[in-house]
Amino acid sequence: MRSKPKIIWIDAVGCNGCSHSFLNHPDISSFFENFKLLYHPILPTENFKIQKCDILIIEGALNKGKRLGYDIEKLIEELILHSKIIIALGTCAVYGGIFGEGVVFKHEKKKRDLNIINIPGCPIHPEWLMYVLNMIKNNKKIILDDYNRPIEIFTFTSHSGCSRNEYFEWKIDAEEFGTKEGCLFYYQGCQGPYTHSSCNRILWNEVNSKPRAGTPCFGCTEPNFPKQDLFKTETFMGIPANIPLGVGKRAYLTLSGIAKSLTNERLSKKLIEDCNEDK
Amino acid sequence: MKINEKIINKIEGEAKLKIYGGKKVDFVEIEFYNFRGIENYLVGRHYMDALVINPRVCGICGHSHLLATARAIENAFGIKPTKKAEILREITTGLEIIQNHIKWFYITFLPEKINDKSKMLKAVNIASYVSKIIALIAGQFPHNSYIVPGGVTCDLTNLEVLKVENMLKTLKKQITDEIVDDEGHSEDVEKFFEFFDKNAGKGLNRFLVLGENLYFKSNGDVENVCEIDRNVFYEGEFFEVGPLARNLNNNQIKKVYSEYKDSIYTRVFARVYETQLILNYLLKIIKDIEICEKNYVKYNPKNSKGISVTEAPRGSLIHRVEIKNEKIKKYDIIVPTQFNLSSYTKEKPSAAQAAMIGEKVGDIQTIFKCFDICAVCANH
Repeated sequence: MRSKPKIIWIDAVGCNGCSHSFLNHPDISSFFENFKLLYHPILPTENFKIQKCDILIIEGALNKGKRLGYDIEKLIEELILHSKIIIALGTCAVYGGIFGEGVVFKHEKKKRDLNIINIPGCPIHPEWLMYVLNMIKNNKKIILDDYNRPIEIFTFTSHSGCSRNEYFEWKIDAEEFGTKEGCLFYYQGCQGPYTHSSCNRILWNEVNSKPRAGTPCFGCTEPNFPKQDLFKTETFMGIPANIPLGVGKRAYLTLSGIAKSLTNERLSKKLIEDCNEDK
Repeated sequence: MKINEKIINKIEGEAKLKIYGGKKVDFVEIEFYNFRGIENYLVGRHYMDALVINPRVCGICGHSHLLATARAIENAFGIKPTKKAEILREITTGLEIIQNHIKWFYITFLPEKINDKSKMLKAVNIASYVSKIIALIAGQFPHNSYIVPGGVTCDLTNLEVLKVENMLKTLKKQITDEIVDDEGHSEDVEKFFEFFDKNAGKGLNRFLVLGENLYFKSNGDVENVCEIDRNVFYEGEFFEVGPLARNLNNNQIKKVYSEYKDSIYTRVFARVYETQLILNYLLKIIKDIEICEKNYVKYNPKNSKGISVTEAPRGSLIHRVEIKNEKIKKYDIIVPTQFNLSSYTKEKPSAAQAAMIGEKVGDIQTIFKCFDICAVCANH
């Protein structure tokens, strides 16, 4: 692509969280060096006008409303016609999320054949967008899955790399919030084993992730986000009703039964005994 | 009379001003649109789901909405978290205010008069460092849910606590050297006001603080707040909330206020200087963390109503919840932008309306933005 691809970044209905998340990229200055930002909802740019661009980034869900004096949905349709590549940024733009409808889902109904790359996430991880932008700039082919998501990001589950994996292996649950010990998959509603994302491989803000901080994965990169009862694991015959991707129910039941019948003594007690409940 | 409509963007979301008057503003109406209906979205869901959904009200101040949610539920159930959990919450929500103010000044406000990319990058890099400190405790930023009724989900070791403390010290140095010093002096703020009248934008000169987190002290009672058509009154009057309102007892801010009253300059000064004041407070309280204290206390849910008031980046934030059989029956949010930017009559203007009335038409976008508008919050 040209030396400095032109980007229009437009916000539909959302919270601007993907923009703010992207600004946390440790090498954000390279974005301003390598791309020409024609418009952005918050960052300083020239005044908005409908014009040709190389990359259109859509943040937020499609819904009734006004943006820059236009009807939001019409404005985005118009901008799509002026763009070579479209990036649906964040779960709102991809699937609709909390606030409306996603771009692809909307347009599939109209049988549009769009050159679209979906980056779900509520919010997106800054590295995910930077990767996609740099691939486009360097004329490299981004391999996409059936949902038009970059495979190099979304073939993983957020479970991969989780610091609680030992507890997952031995089927030891976290008895309550606020403990280093235990896996959040059994009671606290963690969706890590079946959520497509790389949150525990490419850490958030370079240092952490929700499950590492004791918060379950809410599946925010998935089409059904936010599902009901986000802090509860739905169970079937005593095991999670939604099981890790790629495993048969029977195989998972067997494995769980064996793991539970054996004991890992180290993991069955507090890792740091000095801090007991009396204190 | 001449009437102009002006769309304001490059704020959090978008707003429309309807300006009456030729050269000088006779009256101005403020309109927010793209209403998202998050309160209705919560109805019927498990109360814990609000901890995930409410932060999505806003990408820059969502963490305050998280704290407000957890505290409203705690108020309903009668839960008291441990001191350690409270300190961690103060640190992460205090840091959210700091990153908000830095981004607001350098990305939203400064470019009104000074377009300097290096200053924007400076701010983005410091704000990103702030986010990293939040993430060390909370998992990520934006949009974590580590604050839950009963405490926090994380379980830090001394290693992380010391690291957070060291990062706070580094941040203090960065802010002091590059943004605003301990006495409130900021080269960039002064530079801006070489191009803008420091005395412009005087508002109602009435201030309200309802939250009691961090070092802020309330001067009112939330029961006197009344919301009519998104306009928010206190005892039937409009008030200004936010950094100026809650720091008026600070000596440096008092000094500026006595000279410039509640002008655009005082408002900007207070917002930028508050980064230092909050940081000093966080550096003090982090020393009180008892690592062996519990992060989370168990509780029993019940059918009840709860309320919380939190000082968020832009001022007092009110959450009200009604819970029945563990489900949300009713949820109500009042955001600071509603206090400051209500749109009422010429005879009875809100703080922002009052600040714009009588000013030059060409100046009002800048005056409007000095309130740090969160249109996305206003449209929750």
